[in-house]
Amino acid sequence: MSAAAKPGRARLIAVDGVDAQAVLAAAKAALAASTSGAPAGARGGVSRWDASGIFQDLEVAEDDAGSPSPRTMLLLYAADLAFRLRWQVRPALAEGRTVVVAPYVETAIAYGRAAGLPANWLANLFRFAPRPSERHVVAARGTNAAAVKDGFVGFASAHVAGKGAHARQVLITATERHLRRGRPPQPRARGRRPLRRAPS
Amino acid sequence: MPSVQASLQRARRLARQRFTDPTRRRGLLVAFEGPDGSGKTTQRKLFKTWLKSEGYDVVTTKWNSSDLIKPIIKSRKAVRALSPEEFSLLHGADFRHRVEQVILPALWEGKLVIADRFLFTGLARDVARGLDLDWVLKLYQPLLWPDLVFYFAVSPVTSGKRVTATRLPTYYEAGQDITDVDDPVESYQRFIARVIREYESLALIFNFITVDAEQSIAEQHRQIRDLFIEGQRRPWSAWNVDAVAEWLALSGKRR
Repeated sequence: MSAAAKPGRARLIAVDGVDAQAVLAAAKAALAASTSGAPAGARGGVSRWDASGIFQDLEVAEDDAGSPSPRTMLLLYAADLAFRLRWQVRPALAEGRTVVVAPYVETAIAYGRAAGLPANWLANLFRFAPRPSERHVVAARGTNAAAVKDGFVGFASAHVAGKGAHARQVLITATERHLRRGRPPQPRARGRRPLRRAPS
Repeated sequence: MPSVQASLQRARRLARQRFTDPTRRRGLLVAFEGPDGSGKTTQRKLFKTWLKSEGYDVVTTKWNSSDLIKPIIKSRKAVRALSPEEFSLLHGADFRHRVEQVILPALWEGKLVIADRFLFTGLARDVARGLDLDWVLKLYQPLLWPDLVFYFAVSPVTSGKRVTATRLPTYYEAGQDITDVDDPVESYQRFIARVIREYESLALIFNFITVDAEQSIAEQHRQIRDLFIEGQRRPWSAWNVDAVAEWLALSGKRR
């Protein structure tokens, strides 16, 4: 642990949205606001999607491997998020740093809802992700392909919806609408079993 | 999104019509499950040869074999970079992709699909790695239930002897990511005992047909043929309607 770190101030901040550039700008602003005055070594950082390189690998797959469905995309997003939590988020929090996770869970859930996937499946999928201490949803400056192309929603919509620009646009717009509307109230976590136990 | 829901409703009706039409041979899904070294692959090959001789159009699908996801898993296994959650999620993605690209299209065409390992492999291994069964099972929703599941039962000792007779088990095969045991053979022995325990629970819960994989190859094959002839007359499981409907809605199939 860094000598300057203050474990009590470690925070997990979630920034979600379909517009990748706007999300990144908001994440940097949230990090700066949260860590202003902190020593350089204790400021933390921003965790961005595809830190695991899964989607980069997907991008170079042969065309005849077939397009992934929204469910497959979200399973891959969850695998990437598990990687980010393991290598970026938890170690930083343990050192008392603030981490802005951009995007986090809400973007993926909104994308899944837009694609017609059941809310309970989506909630279960991300059960392993800890609750953030702060949440921000960034409104898109525009849901055109250029504004979202670097983000998960743009990537997933382009691959899932195939080459049809209209279908892609419909999915992106619906994701934005679900994000604005927010998630329906979730059942209380009380009594929920932990995801991992020590193997007997 | 009303149009998505309406499309799923239409797809459900279409799925029921297709799989319960008495005038056509419906697709059948047969899964072979069991620990490594239980002889599944040998039996699967014999079964496939026999089915072809009986006039069936047979498609085989193996665990962790989708062209899209397999390379992603392989490269991460090679550098031992997967946590139990990542291992589980990536195998779930591989399975889902094969369901949509290989299994359902073949069943829709009335073919017989043999799955050399099915989702129960994911459940047994992930739970043996300490993950919650409920979480893992829901990853595989909407569930696609095989018409028959043959479970090849062997003891941990037999599995260990057969697997290590010619080679060392790989890092994840031996469960070294969770046992903290350096020796792959010793680690395999511990891990496979956990996997078999989970398989035995699943066999009870999901009503697998257990084949005694300590018997001779010929005896097992004869038993599988008899059980298949008996089991293929089972009606289509209506539990599969959601899985088929989602695939139909995605693929835009009309009939």
